[in-house]
Amino acid sequence: MTPVMRAEGNILLPVFAAASRSALLLPPLALLVLFFLTPLLYLFFVSFHAPSQSDLFGEGLTLGNYLRVIGDSFFLTIIERTMLTGALVALICLAIGYPAAFAIARMPPRHRLVALLLLLFPLMVSNVIRAYGWVAILGRRGVINSTLRNFGVIDLPLDLMFSTATVAVGLLTILLPYMIISLANSIAAIDPHYEEAAQSLRASPVRTFFHVTLPLSAPGMTSGLMIVFLLTLSAYVTVSLLGGPRTKMLVSLVFDSVVAFAWPRAAAFAFILLALALGVALIVPAVLRPGRVRGLG
Amino acid sequence: MTPPSAEFDVRLDRVSKTFGAVTAVRETTLDIPRGTFLSILGPSGCGKTTTLRMIAGFERPTTGNVYIRGARVTEVPPYKRDFSMVFQNFALFPHLDVAHNVGFGLRMRGLPRADIDREVAGVLDLVKLSGLADRFPRQLSGGQQQRVALARAIVMSPAVMLLDEPLGALDKNLREEMQIELRQLQQKLGITAVFVTHDQDEALALSDRIAVMRDGRIEQIGAPRDVYERPANEFVAGFFGVSNVMNGEVVHVDPDGIDIKIGEAGTVRLSFAAEPGRRIRVAVRPEKIRIARSNASLPLKARLTDVVYRGASTSFFLELGGQTLVAIRQNEGGREEGLKAGDAVVCGWDPNAAIKLADG
Amino acid sequence: MSPRGRIGPALWAMIALNYSLVLGPILVVVVAAFSPTDFFVFPPPGLSLRWFRAFFELDNMRGAFLLSIQVACLAASIATVLGTFAAIHVGRRRGAGAGLLQSVFMAPLVFPTIILGLALLLVFRTVGIPVLPGIVLAHIVVGLPYCFRSVLTSFQSFDPALEEAAQSLRASPLQTFLRVTLPLIRPGVLTGWLFAFIVSFGELNTSLFLTGPGYVTLPIEIFSYLQFEGGQLVVAAASTVQVALIVVLVLAVERLVGLGRVVRG
Repeated sequence: MTPVMRAEGNILLPVFAAASRSALLLPPLALLVLFFLTPLLYLFFVSFHAPSQSDLFGEGLTLGNYLRVIGDSFFLTIIERTMLTGALVALICLAIGYPAAFAIARMPPRHRLVALLLLLFPLMVSNVIRAYGWVAILGRRGVINSTLRNFGVIDLPLDLMFSTATVAVGLLTILLPYMIISLANSIAAIDPHYEEAAQSLRASPVRTFFHVTLPLSAPGMTSGLMIVFLLTLSAYVTVSLLGGPRTKMLVSLVFDSVVAFAWPRAAAFAFILLALALGVALIVPAVLRPGRVRGLG
Repeated sequence: MTPPSAEFDVRLDRVSKTFGAVTAVRETTLDIPRGTFLSILGPSGCGKTTTLRMIAGFERPTTGNVYIRGARVTEVPPYKRDFSMVFQNFALFPHLDVAHNVGFGLRMRGLPRADIDREVAGVLDLVKLSGLADRFPRQLSGGQQQRVALARAIVMSPAVMLLDEPLGALDKNLREEMQIELRQLQQKLGITAVFVTHDQDEALALSDRIAVMRDGRIEQIGAPRDVYERPANEFVAGFFGVSNVMNGEVVHVDPDGIDIKIGEAGTVRLSFAAEPGRRIRVAVRPEKIRIARSNASLPLKARLTDVVYRGASTSFFLELGGQTLVAIRQNEGGREEGLKAGDAVVCGWDPNAAIKLADG
Repeated sequence: MSPRGRIGPALWAMIALNYSLVLGPILVVVVAAFSPTDFFVFPPPGLSLRWFRAFFELDNMRGAFLLSIQVACLAASIATVLGTFAAIHVGRRRGAGAGLLQSVFMAPLVFPTIILGLALLLVFRTVGIPVLPGIVLAHIVVGLPYCFRSVLTSFQSFDPALEEAAQSLRASPLQTFLRVTLPLIRPGVLTGWLFAFIVSFGELNTSLFLTGPGYVTLPIEIFSYLQFEGGQLVVAAASTVQVALIVVLVLAVERLVGLGRVVRG
């Protein structure tokens, strides 16, 4: 290589580097544009069309798919149930998960790691298996009924399945790890000096918790509540296995419409679900204001 | 041990603290009289923060006892002790505004709201933050945060205020400004204060008394002038910037002082007493050593090994009698003798300038 | 350390409650899989492997299991490559663009996947993409955020001066990447692949719409079996096989990179 070429190469190097950096961005961005953004826009487009017997959707634009939902108390009841169940599951997760997360955050780092891994592992197991676990516990031939019958407590199996409560229990236990992990990381990140400062200002451990630790864990509460609530909205398999044919949620309506090949209606339900999810994602942080905790430590 | 008098706001009675196999503080006894500003000074890991945290109750002594205003508090949890604390990173509650940060302790104490408001307004006035009561910590400058932390501690009127390197997070200029403010405030209010620092200048500027710690022990305790001018041993001397330690042999003793011989370099006069014939160790501050190409009043012959220009001053590295010394001279401009490495010079110091160190 | 580190009996009780709620159902499934009986009886009268045999003898189940492994391997590998590209780009970028791109690449993670499944189904039907590539594409999109975040995390603890040092020693950009950058972000890449594999292997919501005749993944096979068939213990065996595979993978990653980063990453 001649000195001149080398010099040129050095001048061009930053240009090549910048170009290759942008080249790196292209494939993943293309994936998201083609198979994430475009499909969603297309779905949105479909949701404003009338159904069609032969094609995916009929001609002409209409708001009918959305208006039908707003005018129908059957759908509105289901939406209400969906939101109430989601809110309830998220709040119960917070209530029972917080003490555990608090304890985990107080463990020495090695124990904390094991504790968190034990929570991460269930998240890796498919939800269908975890929901089936509750079928195996609550079903007519499940752990509870067979045990009670073995001991002669009951003659006929108890009907523990297929209710909103069953769905809530299933969702609760499936989503609880998200809440605990999110809380534990947030609590562990609180500078211990804040708690010491509170104690130096005459706050007992209990008051230290309520005046300092709890408000400072707002980021963890926010993300925990949001994740859990959002995931309840799209948990079709859990709802279907534990709720049965009668306990429907919004996500069941999406699925039922697909099964009936009513694509535009399915699309409309999907976007109603998305709008509710967006609402949750906006309301939870607005209420808990996790931002106020950030700033100088 | 006699019961501690209430004249001492804090008393540590032979406290030790071990963490597993590590001993952080060994058998330390310390009395802090009312109204005193005491600095605990030492390198990191010397046990100074642990000592402070034992006074606060964040650490429980492995052995020994802690007293605050005469009452034994060794097993008392922090929130029932009469102290307040300024933390290294200030630990201002990020979710509370300035007024609520400062009023936090009074609220925990259950004071009526009106009293809290009045006290908070008063102390914010004192630290010159009156206009910022509804700001949040992240909206404040470092100096303002420091003042809030101070106000939050002062407003409790504690028996003792503990300060854990509270100026460490500030830049140099602001730190010096805050030193003065802190000192004035403490004197005005007459609060007993324990201040942990690794910065000897800060300790000298602020304190009534300085305790120098090393390896979990207090090496020397005394007024700033005492520890600076009469360091008890080589460690303390070194910590206050005395790098020149020499071995010499006492060759002459008279009522005014002694002469010691430093190797082949010559004999020099010192103004303290010692037995003739003994080998002693003395220290001299670099800025006290005078050097010249030739000067009849400077008794020691030395060789310059290096000359380092440092702007305001110049450091001269000397080799004399097989030992190495540093002399520092203020640069006054123009009046340079052109001394350079390799030159033969003479040096000496005022008999009062030498510090006698413990033997060995 | 006095206010920290001490966990009272009430807190231990809450830990026990939470962990039994979370782990209990999985444990029940695993125990049930070893039942010797036709239906699950508690406590089980003995142990047997008959349901595992049944699982591998059912063509549908075995086929779904193998398909799931193939789909997960393929989707995870592609997602890892794409996620690594994205992370390297974002990791080096400064300013507002970096934050924006970061939320773009994380978007599929917070997005309701069932809607994504439906949207992809409509597009695939319109454009005419066959079932199998469709499933793989969906799983790549779902797995991408995990790979992206995992690599980005290891990239952020990476000193860019190292690359400059390599270039100052006459390494070309490609050599720098292969010999300096890649070895240093390897743990993040591996962890990302593991997550993408596991997510694909258990994926339900997009697969629900995208599977078709002859191409059914294991979770969907389990789901339809639960809905339409009677004997459920073969499902317990299928589930246990899946759980076992996850455990093996997690242990492998623990060997390779350590699990500490998995929790933080």
